[in-house]
Amino acid sequence: MEKKITNKYKRLVSFSLMGPESGALCEVDCEDGKIIRINPYSYDKEYTDANCNPWHMEARGKTFDPPKRVNITHMGLCYKTRVYSPNRILYPMKRVDWDPEGERHPETRGISGYERISWEEAAKICANEIKRINKTYAPEAILCESDMHGEGKNVAPSHGCPNRMFSLTGGYTQQMRNMDSWEGWYWGAKHVWGCEPVGEMAPQANLIPDMAENSDGLFFWGCDPEVTPLGFGMKMPTLLCYWFTELGIKSIYICPDLNYGAAIHADKWIPVLPNTDTALQLAIAYQWLTNDTYDKEYIEKHTYGFDKFKAYVLGEEDGIPKTPKWASEKCGVPVWTIKALADYWAENKVSICHGNGGSYIRSPYATEPARLEVMLLGMQGLGNPGVHQCKLIEWNMWAANYPLPYTPEFVPAVPHICDAIRTVPGDIPSNIKMSRFPLSDAQKERAPEIVDLFEVLPGPKQYIPRCLVQTAIVDKHAEWMGMSCFATAGNPRPGNNRVPTVYDQFEKNVYPRPGMSRIHMIWSTAPCNVTCWNDGFKFQKAYRDPEIETFVIQHPWMENDCYFADLLLPVCTKHEMHDIGNDMSSGTYVSIYKEEPCIPPRGESVSDFDVCVKVLEQFGPEYVKAYTGDLSEEERVRFFYKASGCEERMSFEEWNEKKIFVVPVSKEAKDAVPGLGDFAKDPEEYPLETPTGLLEYSSSNIEKFMPEDTERPPVPHWVEKGPWHDERLSSERAEKYPLLCMSNHGRWRIHAQCDDIPWSREVETMKIKGEDGYLYEPCWLNPKEAEKRGIKHGDIVKVFNERGIVLCGAYVTERLIEQTCYVDHGSRLDPIIPGEVDRGGAINNISPTNPIGKNSTGMATSGFLCDVQKVTEEDWAEWKSKAPWAFERHYDKAFGVCVEGWMKDYENGDNYHG
Amino acid sequence: MAKVFCIDVAKCSGCYNCQFACKDEHCNNEWLPYAAKQPMTGQFWLGIEEHVEGSKPKIKIHYVPVLCNHCEDPACMKAAKNGAVYKREDGLVIIDPEKAKGQKEIAEACPYGAVFWNEELSLPQKCTGCAHLLEEGKVPRCVDVCHTGAIQFGEESEFADFIDGASVRIPESGTGPKVYYRNIPGRFIGGTLYDPVEEVVVRNAKCTLVRGDKTWETETDIFGDFWFKDLPRGKYDLSIEAAGFEGLSFKDIDTEENSVNLGDQPMNRKNQ
Repeated sequence: MEKKITNKYKRLVSFSLMGPESGALCEVDCEDGKIIRINPYSYDKEYTDANCNPWHMEARGKTFDPPKRVNITHMGLCYKTRVYSPNRILYPMKRVDWDPEGERHPETRGISGYERISWEEAAKICANEIKRINKTYAPEAILCESDMHGEGKNVAPSHGCPNRMFSLTGGYTQQMRNMDSWEGWYWGAKHVWGCEPVGEMAPQANLIPDMAENSDGLFFWGCDPEVTPLGFGMKMPTLLCYWFTELGIKSIYICPDLNYGAAIHADKWIPVLPNTDTALQLAIAYQWLTNDTYDKEYIEKHTYGFDKFKAYVLGEEDGIPKTPKWASEKCGVPVWTIKALADYWAENKVSICHGNGGSYIRSPYATEPARLEVMLLGMQGLGNPGVHQCKLIEWNMWAANYPLPYTPEFVPAVPHICDAIRTVPGDIPSNIKMSRFPLSDAQKERAPEIVDLFEVLPGPKQYIPRCLVQTAIVDKHAEWMGMSCFATAGNPRPGNNRVPTVYDQFEKNVYPRPGMSRIHMIWSTAPCNVTCWNDGFKFQKAYRDPEIETFVIQHPWMENDCYFADLLLPVCTKHEMHDIGNDMSSGTYVSIYKEEPCIPPRGESVSDFDVCVKVLEQFGPEYVKAYTGDLSEEERVRFFYKASGCEERMSFEEWNEKKIFVVPVSKEAKDAVPGLGDFAKDPEEYPLETPTGLLEYSSSNIEKFMPEDTERPPVPHWVEKGPWHDERLSSERAEKYPLLCMSNHGRWRIHAQCDDIPWSREVETMKIKGEDGYLYEPCWLNPKEAEKRGIKHGDIVKVFNERGIVLCGAYVTERLIEQTCYVDHGSRLDPIIPGEVDRGGAINNISPTNPIGKNSTGMATSGFLCDVQKVTEEDWAEWKSKAPWAFERHYDKAFGVCVEGWMKDYENGDNYHG
Repeated sequence: MAKVFCIDVAKCSGCYNCQFACKDEHCNNEWLPYAAKQPMTGQFWLGIEEHVEGSKPKIKIHYVPVLCNHCEDPACMKAAKNGAVYKREDGLVIIDPEKAKGQKEIAEACPYGAVFWNEELSLPQKCTGCAHLLEEGKVPRCVDVCHTGAIQFGEESEFADFIDGASVRIPESGTGPKVYYRNIPGRFIGGTLYDPVEEVVVRNAKCTLVRGDKTWETETDIFGDFWFKDLPRGKYDLSIEAAGFEGLSFKDIDTEENSVNLGDQPMNRKNQ
C-alpha cells in the first residue's frame, strides 16, 4: 500500500503501548521523510475551555486542574529511536538451520542465525505450513500467541490479526492471556468483594476528590505511582501525588524497595520482605481485634464469615495467634512498627493506592495479600468517605467511571478490528458474546460499510492459559482451573461483552482436550514470553521442543522469543501507518484522533494486518476478501470514525482537517457517589457481587466448591509452604538460595517494550555497564548482602536458582532491604545457553513454573528464592567453551543486542553455529 | 537582557524527560549555526544528577538537572580562539560549530563539566538553550516536556522572586551562572524510638539537635520517627527525652558525607 509522505509536516500519533484504548498524544515533526522530534500535544491549540468543559477539583482550599499539555512519558518522547532502531526486523527472515522441506533442527533454535528471504517465499512457506499442519494433525495443532503488550493500534492491531487469519484457514489453539496484571485481585479479592471482572475495587467514581477531601493518609502498598502507570502514556499520577502532599495527606509506602514513587513522595517507607505482606496484614488485624480498634458496627452489617476470620487471626483455628511478633519474624518489619502502623490506620482515614499491584499481587499465593487488604479496609469502614482502594492506572477499563471527576460526555466507540483473545465456542454460556471486540448494533447502523469486516469468524478449538503454555508443550499435558476467558467486562465501550463470573474459576480444564491434537506449530505476535511470563527458561525449552515443527513470529523488533523463531516477518511501527487513535485513559480528556504515517514503512515491513493478508493471498482471493472486507487501511480509518459515533458531533471533513476530536467532559461526572459509598451506606439496597452480597471474610464460594484447598482456603491464610510453592526464607531451599527475588514493572520499560532506547540505557537504574562494556540489567542489592558476597557496585553477577542463571550488573543500594534482590522484569533476553543461561537479565527466566496456587491460574513472577554471586572466571570459561557464538554476536554499544548479531552474513563474518 | 533557567528541585520527579528531550532534539539533528549533531550517546547537554541521602529505611532522593550555566563571564569563551564561543544578545552562550573545530580547550575550560568533546567531529559541544527554537517563539525542549514546571526559562527580570535566595552551582568559580536552583535539600538526621520491653514506638519524645550555637527541636510522630531536615553539613549532638524513659544522647553525628539515619533506637523505661 502506498503511503503519501510530504516534505515537512506534523503528525499526530498517540504513544500507547499497552492497548488500543490508551494513549498520550504526541505531535511528530517530520522533514524529508525523517522524524525530527516528538513533542507532547497541547489541547489548548484546537480547543478552548468552553469546548472541552475541563474538569476541576477543589479540596482543603486548594485546586487541581488537568494539564493543557499532554504529560508524555519518556517512552513516547524517545520513540523515534525505536522506529530507527538497528534492531528492527526489516525483511522476512528464515532461520538458516530450518528447512521446511527437510531437517528442521529445533535444537538449534536460540543459537542459529537468520538469512533474508523474499516476501513471496515467506508467504508461501507460511501458507504451506498451515496447510500441512492442518492436514497432518489438525487445525488446533497451531498455537496462536497473539495477546497484549504490543503497540496500541485499531485498524491494524498488534495482536489478533493471526487469530482472524486462522479462523479462516480452519482453526487454532488460543494462547489465553492469564490475568497477569491482576492475579491476586482476580483469584483472591473477587472472593471477598465481588468487584467483577478483575477483582479490584469497582466502582472507582470520584475517588480522588473524595480522598483529597477526606483521607488523612494514603498507603501505596506495593505500588509505584511513578512507574506502573507509564504504560498508559501518562504521568497524571505524578501530579496527583504532589497534590496529595500539598494537601497535607501523608503518603506511606509499604514495599521491599524504596521505589521511584517513594523516592520523591513518601512521608514514610515501611520496608517489608517480598511476598510476606500477608503476615503483616494478619498482625494488623490481630492488633485491631485485640485492641478493639475496628468498626464493629460496619462489620456487623456488611460482612459474612467474620467470626471464622477472627478465629484464624486470634489463633483459635491453628493455635498460632497472628501477633506482631509472629509477623515480624516473617515479614521483617519490627514489632513496634507493625503496631504503630496498625494504630495509625485505626486512628486515621486511610485509602490504599495501586498501580494494579505489581509484584505484591504477582507472587506465590498472591490471593492471600489481595484478599486480606480488602478485609482490612472493611474493618475500617470501606466505602465511607476517605476509605477506598484507588487505582492510578487504566482508568478507562473495567469501571464505568474514572476516579477523577471526569467522564466523557459520550463514550466514543472506535471499533477494534481483531480479537486478540477469543473464547472457545461452548466454553461459556451462549448469552455471553464470545468476541472481545464485536461490532455493536449502533456501530453497525452508523457504518454498514464495515459489517462484513466484523463478521464473527469461528473461535479457537481449544486454549491454554499463557502461564501454562511452556508446561503444556514440554510436559505434553496441563491441567488448570478456569481462565476460559480473559475478563473484559465493565469496559465502558458500547458492545463489549460480559465475561464468565467468578464461577469460571471452579471449572477444571485440560490440554490437550480429549480427542484433540497437541501443538506442532506456533505463530506469535507477542514474542515476550521468555521475559514477561513465568519460567522463561521453560518457555525456551518449549520453543526448542522437537514436537514444535514450525515457529513463525511477526514483530517490528528482533527480541526475546524471536531468537527461537524459524520465520520472522517484518512489521512496521505505528509511526509508519494510518490509524484512528483513541485516548481513553490519560486522565485529561477523551479524544479521537487521526494518525497518519510519519515516514514510509521501513524496509519491507508492513502492518500486522497486512502480514496476514500476504499469507492469505496464497490461499486465494476469497480468503483475502473475507479477511479484509475489501477495505484499505485508510478506508478502515474512515469508516471506523463513522462507527465511533463522533461523526454525529464532528464531520469527517472537519476531523480530517483538525485531526482530533476532543470529547467534552460530562457535567454530571462529579456527582457520582465515590467508590463503594452506596454499599457502605446500605448494603441491602446496594449489595456486592458476592453470593451473600456482603464482604466475605470466609468465601462462601470456596467453602462450597473447594473447602479443602490449603493454598487458598475459605479464610485467607499465611501459607508457609504448599503443594505448588516452596518459596519462603524458611524453606530448606533457602540454604542454597537465601534471597527473595522481587521483580516489578520496569522503570524504563513497559514490560518487554522499550528496552532498546539508547538514551534511557545511559541511566544507571536502567542498565549498568560491566567491566566488559556490556550494559547489564541492574540487580539491586543491599550493601550488607553485597558485602557478604564480595560484590561491588557494577560487578557482573549471576542471579540463579534451580531454574537457571540470569546475568545482571550489581546495583548496590540502601533502597532495598536485606535478604532480597530486585530486578525489573522485561529486559531483553540474550541467550548464552538457551533454557539455562541468559546474559540479558530477563529475570522471569528463573521465576516459578507453577501458577500462583493449585486452583489459581495466575503467574508468580516475584517473591521467589534465588542467590546472587559474582560471575567467576570459571563461569565465563565454561560458557565460552560451551557457547562461543553467544559471545561473538554483534552488540551495539548504544542499543544493545540487535538484529545484526543474528544475521548469518553480517559484516564481521558468519555467526551460524548449527 | 539575559535568559535564565530557574530550576525548582522540589518539583523534580526524576522522570528524566528533560535529559531525553534534549537528546531527541539534538542527537542526529543538526541546528546550524548553533549546533552540530550530538552523538547518539555519551553527551549530556542536560543531565540529571541523582542524590540518594540516608540509609534504609530513612532515605530521601532528589534529582538535580545540570546544564550549561550560560555564564555572565564564561570560562569557555575565554579559552576560545577566533571568537569560537560567543554570547548572544539574549545572554545565551553559543559554541560556533565551525570556528570551534579542534579547540578542545573550550571543553576543558568549563568548571561545571557542561561542555563535551566530540571526538568524531573534533568539536566541543553543549547546550544551546535551543536557540534555534527560540527563534520560532518556542521554549527549550527540556522546559517544554517538564510536567511539574520544575524547569522554567525566561528573562532574568521576570524571575526576580525565584532568583532572590536561589543558589548556583560551584559559586566559587566566579563565572556568574545563569542557571538558578531552589530547594536543593540539605542533609537530614532521623531515627525511630521504641520501648524494647513493650515493643511499641515512643511517640512525642522531645528531640533536640545542637550544632554550635544553633538548636533544632522536634518530636517523634505516631511511628516513633523524628526527622531534622535541610541541615547544613557538619557535626551535631542530639539529645532525646520522653516522659517515663531514660534519655538518650548522641554525640558528633556527622553529616559531612551523607545524611544520617540513626535507625531504631531503644529507650529504656525509668525504674519506678
